[in-house]
Amino acid sequence: MALTITCPVCGKRDGYEFRYGGEDKGPRPDEEGLTPENWCDYVHMNDCVAGIQKEWWYHRDGCGVWFSTHRDTTTNLEISDSEVK
Amino acid sequence: MVDIIRRSPVTFDKRPARVENRHNWNVVTEFADEGEEGPWITDLCHKTRWDVQDGNLMSLNSSDLPIPENYGDCSLSGEMAVNRMNRTQASVWHFSDDAVQMPNQSAYTETTDATVFLALYGKNVFSITEKLTNLDLNGPDKNPPTLVQGPFSHVPCQILVVNKDGEMPGILFTCSRGYARDMVHAVMDAGREFSLKPAGEDRCKQWINQIL
Repeated sequence: MALTITCPVCGKRDGYEFRYGGEDKGPRPDEEGLTPENWCDYVHMNDCVAGIQKEWWYHRDGCGVWFSTHRDTTTNLEISDSEVK
Repeated sequence: MVDIIRRSPVTFDKRPARVENRHNWNVVTEFADEGEEGPWITDLCHKTRWDVQDGNLMSLNSSDLPIPENYGDCSLSGEMAVNRMNRTQASVWHFSDDAVQMPNQSAYTETTDATVFLALYGKNVFSITEKLTNLDLNGPDKNPPTLVQGPFSHVPCQILVVNKDGEMPGILFTCSRGYARDMVHAVMDAGREFSLKPAGEDRCKQWINQIL
């Protein structure tokens, strides 16, 4: 399935220029009261949504920026504009 | 006193007609049989290049270092090109023959010896580039001088589209030093049908002066 990603710096590009960075799970949990199980869940457990998912991408072959975007995993189409963190 | 020798990673299968030793680099200023009709490729690896990186990049903006405000924009003069890469980074390419002293600040990194620097210019240049990349360097959305960052011959490059129109369109581009031999091989191979020839630094200077 063809994939294009819109880099916030370079614009719409071929998906092969990017590296997938995983689901965007929000900010990392507070150190205080953090158990190994919670940390393991945060790092390794994914929602694997069949539908719209917020995820990280890295423009590896281009400007080198990390950003997040929403992609529909069933159609492989971007839903919203990307956002630089 | 021992003099260091600085070597360009780029070699061409043509005989240099004039070579000049400049700041320990052997610079080819003219090749034999350059011809009067392009396109040409010129090795500019000896030109000083810096990366500038800072959380507040525009605080380094000055008349000596005119950093563009918008991503992809370039401040181009006969002395240097300052390319805005992203929120925190700009690349600086000097064209001067004189040695350029890098400011002693943590924001600056010298990249001269870490990268390849090539110029590709003359007629049919964009017919060559479209064989090597799916980036539309000649697109209507590109207003030269403009920086495009992306794969060129499958190698991540910074490509400055210097001129799109007229008789002398052309690009300047950099990539990691280790790709030099294969990059030149790929570009020369793609340019064979358009009679691409290596040219010395003098012809490249003429091209840049003609545009500015």
